[in-house]
Amino acid sequence: MDEGPGLVSILRQGDNLIASIHTALDDSEMVRFQRNLIEQIGRDRARGVIIDVAALDVLDSFGARTLRTLAEMARLRGAETVIVGIQPDVAFSMVALGLGTGTVHTALDLEEGLAYLGGTHSLPAPDGTEPHFRP
Amino acid sequence: MTQDSPTAERLADASPAIDRVDEDELLPQLVAHLREHRSRLREEWANRIHRAHLLEAMTPQETTDETTSVYDNYVEVLETGSVEALQDYARDLSERIIPRGVETHEVVSIVLLLRDVLARSLFEKYQRDFDFLNRVLDAYEPAANRIANTVAVSFVEERERIIRQQQDSIRELSTPVLPVREQLLILPIIGILDTERARQLTEQLLTGIRTHRARVVVIDVTGAPEVDEAVANHLVRTVDASRLMGASVIITGLSPKIAQTLVTIGVDLSKMHTIGDLQGGLEEAERLLGYNSKQDGTAG
Amino acid sequence: MFTANTARVIGRSVPVMEGAELDGARPDSDAAPDVASLLPMLRRIVFSRVGNEAAAEDLVQETLVKVLAAANRIEPGMLEPYAITTARHVIASMWRSQDTQRRNQHRVVGMDHVDAPDERLLKEEERAAVSAALEHLSEREQQTLLAHEVSGQDMRSLATELNTTAGAVAAQLNRTRARMRVEYLLALHDAEPPTDRCRPVLYAISGGDRRRQREVDAARHVLECELCAKLSEPLLERRPEGENEITIRIQHDADVVRARKSARELATRLDFSRTDLTLIATAVSEIARNIVRFAAKGQVYIELVDQPRPGIRIVARDSGPGIPDIDQALADGYSTYNGLGLGLPGARRLMDEFTLTSEINVGTTVTMTKWRTEG
Repeated sequence: MDEGPGLVSILRQGDNLIASIHTALDDSEMVRFQRNLIEQIGRDRARGVIIDVAALDVLDSFGARTLRTLAEMARLRGAETVIVGIQPDVAFSMVALGLGTGTVHTALDLEEGLAYLGGTHSLPAPDGTEPHFRP
Repeated sequence: MTQDSPTAERLADASPAIDRVDEDELLPQLVAHLREHRSRLREEWANRIHRAHLLEAMTPQETTDETTSVYDNYVEVLETGSVEALQDYARDLSERIIPRGVETHEVVSIVLLLRDVLARSLFEKYQRDFDFLNRVLDAYEPAANRIANTVAVSFVEERERIIRQQQDSIRELSTPVLPVREQLLILPIIGILDTERARQLTEQLLTGIRTHRARVVVIDVTGAPEVDEAVANHLVRTVDASRLMGASVIITGLSPKIAQTLVTIGVDLSKMHTIGDLQGGLEEAERLLGYNSKQDGTAG
Repeated sequence: MFTANTARVIGRSVPVMEGAELDGARPDSDAAPDVASLLPMLRRIVFSRVGNEAAAEDLVQETLVKVLAAANRIEPGMLEPYAITTARHVIASMWRSQDTQRRNQHRVVGMDHVDAPDERLLKEEERAAVSAALEHLSEREQQTLLAHEVSGQDMRSLATELNTTAGAVAAQLNRTRARMRVEYLLALHDAEPPTDRCRPVLYAISGGDRRRQREVDAARHVLECELCAKLSEPLLERRPEGENEITIRIQHDADVVRARKSARELATRLDFSRTDLTLIATAVSEIARNIVRFAAKGQVYIELVDQPRPGIRIVARDSGPGIPDIDQALADGYSTYNGLGLGLPGARRLMDEFTLTSEINVGTTVTMTKWRTEG
């Protein structure tokens, strides 16, 4: 929690933005993160956004909704979002709570997220769309 | 009484001797008789086992070997009155035949058949002297029943022990999550799933996805007889959670019964990626991962 | 742990990341106006965590100074997160020094002060407050207290003098100290309790008497009464927090995070599985947020229980408007705010037991329990 310059860092790599959340965020901080990231997507004309949530110990209804909205807004600005690093116990709690990430892509970690955005993987969105997937 | 001769003649010989026999000499006499006619009686017993369609999981040679041993043990118990040796033998036998799929009722049946075969030979031998026959049967029946009881109990105990052992070893399997190749995990679900085991499986799978960096998981439920609604719910959550971690899930070996349970709890099966058998599931997984499948390089 | 992992991944697959695009891109930023604009946010953060207003304002200023000093080294976009982290560090170090003080604090005096330049003035105020508080005690109470605390007379000889037992003297001294603390705080804040219920409630809290607190419904009163809410905080802080329980005031967004962290920490003592810990933390997050959204303020009480088996129980109380239709509130998809409508029904799914009671214009209480699985 003490590492890094802040709660969140947003780094640019080529056409992609990589946003890492370093510690638990409260709702206002989450909303501010959403706003900042959207602004930066517009400014940098990013094509892809990776949100690394591995440091989050909890993704509750508000957190998940914020990420979903963020991905939707990013899409409207021409960028695709991948959420990476959801921890096993967090994933299970989200599902138990009744949450998914909707149509937002998820990947195991940064590396997989970058591979996905780079088109290396041809896997479909892992959330419920496989049956309709045709390569 | 020392040779195998035509019945009528033999009984005529035997009758006068019988009157002098003490009660505690009845069993030794009986034992001598059974030893004497061992091969004929054993043969008769084996035939009846065959006609009753018992022990069909075993080869004829195995059946012969085992029936011979059982016969000898049987006679020994009648002779010594001690069931301990028989108990050991019955456990040993059970251990050998349980994995072959021999059922409890079969074991009980064959022991009862032997009891009957031997009883009939006693009828035959002593039919002229009804009174003596009764005395022989009085000595024989309790012993025979005790034997049948001992064998059945030993078998059931052994079966329970093996089942417990299997359950333990299933539970002890620290990694039922099998990494078959890079980024591909198989989770075979075998045996009864209770809530506690379902919970363990989930934790193992989800952490396994992380450890092995899996992108595709094949959950094979061929070995799961049925699941209750709570466990089914848990499985569905596991599938969804795997997706949140970025792994696609393929379910194979879904029985109609489990499918029915899933539908009952409101799962949309069209949202689940299901494939008939494990082989097909693995091929699909490899296709998703971008490997060429063995038979058909053009898939994907 | 994870941060290190991220660094590894980044280092391996995207080495350009630390390159020119980041560092040298915008070298000349006008930092000063940015720093000033951080003020309201910093106030919000610090005030939500530090009750004492003067101390909070000091911390805000200290944070600003630090941020200003570092402003040149910080990327423009990162100024805000940097300020937030700095504020947290400043608060944390204040708490650390407070802890040290608390361990050595006098038994009668329940207030702590951050090292302040105007210490002498504060000492004056304190002395005045102590004597005002003493005046509220009966003569006999005063004498006993002074004899024991100031002259150092032991309880047994006091008991002999007063013709009673040492136990009775100890109990009386405890009650006296509890009242003394309350009166001292009232005098210090120059406040007179607005209702008849205030003093009994504050005495019960100050004395740490559970039964008495329930009798006077202290938890509810503290939610309703501004003054008692303010005064009960130092009283609760003073009492060593039980090993197996914790109460968290819920008023701001940051309190939601605090509540779920506390729940996780407490549950860890019971060897819950990692998944269960997260389920518990998530459920607490949902109900604590409900308080912030609907009731504006309330509290989350968390305790470990061992009957009929080990588990954790969470009681969330608020003095909000109440829920008119509980069934509807617990149905999936119900939402009166801009959320997913999963708060209450979601929390219920995550826990083993869940009850909700609500009274219009009085408040809502959620009680939920998770049992540890055996084995």
